[in-house]
Amino acid sequence: MDMINWGVVAPLIAIQLILMTVALLDLVKRDQVNGEKWVWAIVIVVFNTIGPIAYFIFGRKTD
Amino acid sequence: MRQWTVMYKKELSEQWRSFKWLWVPLVFMLLGMTQPVTAYYLPDILEQFGGLPEGAVIDIPLPGGGQVLADTLGQFSQIGMLVLVLAFMGTIVSERTQGTWAMVLVKPVSYGNVITTKWAAMLTLVTASYVLGLMSAIYYTFLLIESVPILDIVLGALLFLLWVMFIMTLVILFSSLFKSSGAVAFLTIGMAIVLSIISGFLPDLIQWSPGMLTSHSSDLLRTGETEALVWLPTTVTIVLITGMIFLSVSIVKRKEVIS
Repeated sequence: MDMINWGVVAPLIAIQLILMTVALLDLVKRDQVNGEKWVWAIVIVVFNTIGPIAYFIFGRKTD
Repeated sequence: MRQWTVMYKKELSEQWRSFKWLWVPLVFMLLGMTQPVTAYYLPDILEQFGGLPEGAVIDIPLPGGGQVLADTLGQFSQIGMLVLVLAFMGTIVSERTQGTWAMVLVKPVSYGNVITTKWAAMLTLVTASYVLGLMSAIYYTFLLIESVPILDIVLGALLFLLWVMFIMTLVILFSSLFKSSGAVAFLTIGMAIVLSIISGFLPDLIQWSPGMLTSHSSDLLRTGETEALVWLPTTVTIVLITGMIFLSVSIVKRKEVIS
């Protein structure tokens, strides 16, 4: 395991970070979401990939 | 036609505003990368976490490049499809329940244009995400495992794309029928699962079924050839997609605006 090629793994991590950041930024900017904001913040940070996706699908109130 | 273009652009910009153009392609790229990377590191992962007895010789042959790409499409058809259906289940339903639907339809626009622009904009995003996801899968497969003839990939990918388009058209059809987006998602996913299971068990009986597209596509990727009957499900699927669009338009026309 000590010979992980970071060039291979880095893009995977980068995409997860982008998803998380965008979801968090949107969460902060939005006035109202479905449910509590702090719960979504935890969900987005703790469950990588699935958390942000769940937020984009279910969390954002369509106005 | 001018009206169509304007409405199509409006749909695209709405998708953009709801970040769909950001996260849907990213999710597909992630899905595309995961399969080849996992296949490549599987022996290491097993060694580290598998709890194998000391000194056990692990000899897992690296799967072929075509196999890895076929597995990637398998991921697309499970997780990818779930994400797509959930992302688009509200396409028509939410506009109806929120009343914007009525505001669109009091303007002199045709029902046909409303449905087809929504359908086309959705498929634009879906196709773009699918292509990006597949390209990352191809890149990693070629890099880590082995290269696969490009023609096989393109043909297999096109067959699979047709299946994806069929499912997404189902979303539009069910959206025109039901008022709840949950029902739309449930029925679409249920339909996709039933079609896949049936084609898995009775491949000889229903060679025309759209569900056969996935197995033809995976055959093409793994072995570079598939049965001569590919044209049958292909034609049937294209006819069904066209039919479902016409059906959705006529359903929406007949239904008075529901508030």
